[in-house]
Amino acid sequence: MALTLLRGMRTPILARRNSGLFFTTLHPPLSRLTARAESAQATASPKSIQLATKEAAEQKTQGFEAVIGIETHVQLSTVTKAFCSCPYSYGSQPNSTVCPTCMGHPGTLPVLNSKVVECAVKLGLALNCKIAMSSKFDRKQYFYPDLPKGYQISQFDIPIAKEGYLDLDLPVEFGGGHRRFGITRVHMEEDAGKLLHSESGSYSQVDLNRAGVPLLEIVSEPDMRTGIEAAEYGAEIQRLVRYLGVSNGNMQEGSLRCDVNVSVRPIGQSNFGTKVEIKNMNSFSAINRAIDYEISRQILLHKEGQADQIVQETRLWDESSQKTFTMRKKEGLADYRYFPEPDLPEVVLTSDYIDEIHKSMPELPEAKRRRYENMGLSMQDVLFLANDDNVARFFDSTLEHGADAKLAANWIMGDIAAYLKNEKLSIDEIKLTPLELSELIASIKNGTISGKIGKEILIELIAKGGTVKSVIEEKDLVQIADPAAIEAMVDQVLADNPKQLEQYRSGKTKLQGFFAGQVMKASKGKANPVLLNKILGEKLKANS
Amino acid sequence: MLSAASSSTIPRLRWAAPRRSQSTGNQWLLLLLRRRCSVSSSFSPPLVTPAAAAAAGSGALEPPDVPRLANAARISLSPEEAEEFAPKIRQVVGWFGQLQAVDLASVEPSLRAGTAAGSSLREDRPETFANRDAIIEAVPSYDDPYIKVPRVLNKE
Repeated sequence: MALTLLRGMRTPILARRNSGLFFTTLHPPLSRLTARAESAQATASPKSIQLATKEAAEQKTQGFEAVIGIETHVQLSTVTKAFCSCPYSYGSQPNSTVCPTCMGHPGTLPVLNSKVVECAVKLGLALNCKIAMSSKFDRKQYFYPDLPKGYQISQFDIPIAKEGYLDLDLPVEFGGGHRRFGITRVHMEEDAGKLLHSESGSYSQVDLNRAGVPLLEIVSEPDMRTGIEAAEYGAEIQRLVRYLGVSNGNMQEGSLRCDVNVSVRPIGQSNFGTKVEIKNMNSFSAINRAIDYEISRQILLHKEGQADQIVQETRLWDESSQKTFTMRKKEGLADYRYFPEPDLPEVVLTSDYIDEIHKSMPELPEAKRRRYENMGLSMQDVLFLANDDNVARFFDSTLEHGADAKLAANWIMGDIAAYLKNEKLSIDEIKLTPLELSELIASIKNGTISGKIGKEILIELIAKGGTVKSVIEEKDLVQIADPAAIEAMVDQVLADNPKQLEQYRSGKTKLQGFFAGQVMKASKGKANPVLLNKILGEKLKANS
Repeated sequence: MLSAASSSTIPRLRWAAPRRSQSTGNQWLLLLLRRRCSVSSSFSPPLVTPAAAAAAGSGALEPPDVPRLANAARISLSPEEAEEFAPKIRQVVGWFGQLQAVDLASVEPSLRAGTAAGSSLREDRPETFANRDAIIEAVPSYDDPYIKVPRVLNKE
């Protein structure tokens, strides 16, 4: 999952709007993930392209800046709904997990799920918010067939958490950099049902399984300026809810939904321009592209003197055409006629309760990144390892068994990540344990096995499990580091290949590689390569 | 708010038993209107008037705009009916207005009325509603496995 995300982030969308100069060069890097994971070498060229892209984009926005704010809905992974005991699981038979309460029958009363409060406090704390010791629910009224009660239970004027911030690091290939974005508020509310359209289109269909499922809505300050900043904000929220275990953060299933507000203003102007809301983006890369499209659309209107054509409205992102389209015009604030929910008492917290939750919180992505950075790892490594809490846990556990940080990072981001990608597995699904990875690293470091053999053992351990020690013994893989033994093999190879030896002596010195390969083959890959080359070199020199 | 209850000792994550029949201002009037009138069957968008939103949120007792209230409640009201209701509704608002005169200077503000004692939060334990057949039976128009509703393309 982490891999998909990183890959998505790499798509250099800015270029699509630019001149043909960048267009062709930028098309391919969609499937470059392994390159990123395996070696720094491969990232050198796309990085320069992306920087060039960024500069080109800056030129295009010359004189203007975008202001972006995001509303994120996170569906909580509680067992039951927010106000009734109906179980909820994604993909259940339609209208199977319903009861009179979530279907809005008269005479029913909501009773709040304690887990929802716990999740809200967790996320509020993780977002560095002030937690309200006392907050309340309100009714937000609107008529729509997926909302059986005619109102949504939400929090209006007194949310459970407010005034926080979120720290993140932009990907290296987008120029990197640390950002802090303000969080306006976090509040608890319930989801609506799902509305579908029948094939004939003559009527619509409603599935109320999702009605009443708990959500946390996170409202950001309008602190973002580019599509990539907004996409990374979304990605960090996803990381956070997964680290905290409050949601699966799955965008495809709709467990994480981002609505984005975008406006554009001349640089130096303090008032905001007219804001446009964009919906219907189901990946972070789509958020990035949708926003950058919308920014350039608005800037173009400004430059053509048609700024009055920018109206407050909701636009939908269309993936196939890579454009936004008007969904509905807004004539002002919708009239939701909020009033306090009379069926629910206020939510009162104690400082003991908050402290308890605070103490139970895991290390969060930002703290993890700073810790990894302090170990001396590159930002590329840091972002990869901290992206997925399972990967981070595996890495941390490997270090606890004494492995060197940089070496462990290389193995995880290289051979292990490549394997996971090929087999479409996550790191906790493989048989290799952090202990054995640390053993493997140690065995290479102390010369028991060569790095090459190490790779072979790794694949074996990932697929079948077992210990480094047993694989080495079983397959007799201990590195040959005895000079006399290697010398014997070298002598044998030289004697077996008189023709090549002759060619070497007549000046074809490149053949040393051939001999080295033959000796390695004779040793079944076990010869210590440094020793081998040293002895071979001496022999060839002496003989010529 | 109108509440005069002062919350003394607040036990950990416990709260008052839910109380029914508390509503405020204009919202209450909607209920009144709905009981008296036929409900329009169309699904049209929520009403859009910023001034009204401000009024609904502030709790100030303004004279009601009956046609707007009717529209917000999806009630069809003829101009004559609106005119007939207006003074009656103003009267009701007036009664509530008397509460504004209560001296609250010595009362500590509270979010809600009656938070003194009562039931606790619910554990996150699932309970499947046993009589699903009956509840599905009660759906006016059902197209297995979905509830059938008039065509809706978007919130317009």
